[in-house]
Amino acid sequence: MKRLLDAGLLLALLAAVIAAFAYLRIDLGALTGSENLGHMGDYARRFLSPDLSAGHLGAIGKGALETLAMSAVGTLLSAVFGLLLALPASGRFGWAAANPARLLLNALRAIPELVWAALMVFAAGLGPNAGTLALALHTTGVLGRLFAEALENTPQAPAQAIRLQGGGAVLAFVYGTLPILWPQLLAYSLYRWENNIRMASVLGFVGAGGLGQMLYVHLSLFQEAQASSVIIAMLALVFAVDALSGWSRQRWVKA
Amino acid sequence: MTLRLTQAGLQHRDGSHALRGVDLSIEAGERVAIIGPSGAGKSSLLNLLGTARPPSSGRLEVLGRQPWQLSGRQRQKLRTHIGLIHQAPPLPPRQRVVTAVLAGKLGQWGLAKSLLNLLYPLDIPGARGQLAKLDLADKLFAQCQQLSGGQLQRVGIARVLYQAPELLLADEPVSAMDPVLADHTLSVLCRHAGEHGVTLVASLHTVELALAHFPRVIGLREGRIVFDRPAAEVDRGLLDALYANEQLLPPAPPHIGATAVQIPRC
Repeated sequence: MKRLLDAGLLLALLAAVIAAFAYLRIDLGALTGSENLGHMGDYARRFLSPDLSAGHLGAIGKGALETLAMSAVGTLLSAVFGLLLALPASGRFGWAAANPARLLLNALRAIPELVWAALMVFAAGLGPNAGTLALALHTTGVLGRLFAEALENTPQAPAQAIRLQGGGAVLAFVYGTLPILWPQLLAYSLYRWENNIRMASVLGFVGAGGLGQMLYVHLSLFQEAQASSVIIAMLALVFAVDALSGWSRQRWVKA
Repeated sequence: MTLRLTQAGLQHRDGSHALRGVDLSIEAGERVAIIGPSGAGKSSLLNLLGTARPPSSGRLEVLGRQPWQLSGRQRQKLRTHIGLIHQAPPLPPRQRVVTAVLAGKLGQWGLAKSLLNLLYPLDIPGARGQLAKLDLADKLFAQCQQLSGGQLQRVGIARVLYQAPELLLADEPVSAMDPVLADHTLSVLCRHAGEHGVTLVASLHTVELALAHFPRVIGLREGRIVFDRPAAEVDRGLLDALYANEQLLPPAPPHIGATAVQIPRC
């Protein structure tokens, strides 16, 4: 009986795949036709000669700086607000505060950066402001949730000991909880910064500034050479940030 | 009167009784040892006296006040006069020893001074002085996670000595030390208590240490006080009755290890 069910399921999957091809009218034949292959080759070849003129490189540098700044400010803002929301979300101020905070974090997280960016472009106008806000909003949701979980998993005893010798709640937190917690907070923040720098380069497609916006403009105008150098700049930026955050994790988090 | 318990009881969340009908009064400046088998309620009694938990029944009076009748703010003020030495001092693994010791005065310092102290230790000589009494001055700038269990216990003691409370409660303060060091550390505690007129209540699992250092000994078993008399009057028969059928191994002390840092990768 079980085997029959498995076979049926497999057949249904196969039928679904075939139906999907039929429905989307994907013409695999055209993809391998010699003329079309030639077109694709031409298009790809135009990317192989990136525009490295000084003027263009200057513009790329400015765009890269903008992307870097967007991701850094966005992540920093979201680390601060994420921690502020994580405190109630972890249940430290009772259930009455925990549920609204969790709801807010989930809502922020559920809306992707691109959607936030599209919304923020209307709210804050074209440019890096909108991108920064979009990253900050989404990442606040993500970091807030991660921070709240880290807070819940942190031993309470050190903070409790400070309370028992008369210290206030704030001091118990900074002396008893934060020293255990901060490596984890830093690791999460650096990780999200890596994500955000990749995201920041895409956000430009909806008009939110940075390298992405340059790429979008050049691609729209079929300036493949300029687009190609922008893509190389993006790659370099992402690799650089990966290396930087990997190095700082080694230095501060593992020790 | 520094401490007074009247028919005090303490119930765990699962309904079992940690303490039952305890009557106890301790004068200012007294030095009292609490002994008894594992699970007798020694830690519960100290937690009760240290205002870590309210009694489920009966009355508790600490330093002339009833802590659980006070407002939260007044209770915190009262707690600055109570020092609790933990068996496994709950210190953050990455905190430096100097910070952990100076944290003893957090209840007395203002917020600004305490936060500043986190950036730069404000009273290094003070911390070094307390650690030196316990033969640990060389570990001043070490991280707590680099210390052994016995060294951590001494850091916990140094913190409470730096706090300079009127009432000193110690829960198995020397359980992780070798006999010589344990003896020395208890002498330091007792000398501090004697010099400053501090009331000292310590639970100990080594009867010899209790009899050697403390004029008054209380025997606790199954949440009740079995005997409460001067150390000179505690004899073999009393101790045998106290420890009858006791399991030989004390439970391992809880330990706050370095929390593993999770690094998500994509």
